[in-house]
Amino acid sequence: MSAPAVIGADQVMAVAQDVFVAMVDGEETTLGPWYGDVPAPAEPLAAWVDVHGPWSGRAVLVTELATARDLARAMLRLDDDAPVDAEDLVDAFGEIANVVGGNLKSLLPDGGTLGLPQVADAPPAAGVAASPEAELRLSWRGRPLVVAVHARPDTSSAPTGPTTHPDNPHLEGDTPR
Amino acid sequence: MRALVIDDSRTMRRIVASTLRPLGFEPYEAEHGAAALALLESGLEIDLACVDWNMPVMDGLTFVSTVRERPEWRSMTLMMVTTESEQSQIVRALAAGAHEYLIKPFTADAVRDKLALLGLLPLDGAA
Repeated sequence: MSAPAVIGADQVMAVAQDVFVAMVDGEETTLGPWYGDVPAPAEPLAAWVDVHGPWSGRAVLVTELATARDLARAMLRLDDDAPVDAEDLVDAFGEIANVVGGNLKSLLPDGGTLGLPQVADAPPAAGVAASPEAELRLSWRGRPLVVAVHARPDTSSAPTGPTTHPDNPHLEGDTPR
Repeated sequence: MRALVIDDSRTMRRIVASTLRPLGFEPYEAEHGAAALALLESGLEIDLACVDWNMPVMDGLTFVSTVRERPEWRSMTLMMVTTESEQSQIVRALAAGAHEYLIKPFTADAVRDKLALLGLLPLDGAA
């Protein structure tokens, strides 16, 4: 028997909107729903945070590497063609996941402890429910961004994953510092 | 006035610093609580510390508690700036000695309002 859903897509959307208005675009954000199928990213980049405690969970953002780079530019108020080094790219995308995840954690019945954000080309499969509790397909500047939330009332196994930002071959030599 | 922005995300440090600068603050940055304490121990005098909660090495709550144990830093204003938004967490931070609590994501207006409430900026509409 599956656990009842505690976080809905509408709540994820509200949190994502708040984050993009405050941290990325201001009131003029282009974040909105993505209609239709989301094309598989050619160069995916994922950022996620885990929640530990009475509820185990994870909030994951996945987009194209190029989109993540533009997100970093927007957050750092850089010009559209300004170089973004790998550290800034990972940090900025991870911080979006951190803020989204932190706000979603507050919607869980018993809260929990928030882990540190992690970034790689894909999140580890272990430690979370196989199917996301909510998955939101979003469009930012006309490009896809998927937000998935996993949650389950289960403390038997903590989510696992890299302990630090792992090396990502997509990031190497991309925009030298 | 000097502000110390303590956050493990350099993106967030830059966002907070760029919000504080036009408000008249000279921002300094630290990537975790221990680095912030080292700056204070070195003699840096700070009017305001904006403190993230979840950080490696030393978290924000430990930093706040440590600062509050030191009489020489009593005049420093401590504002948590964090994604931890449950009421229980806010109570914990305030009990540990934080003066204010700002939840991420925040707007520049929210920062200004909090600093005005803390007496670090004029209140809107004040003569």
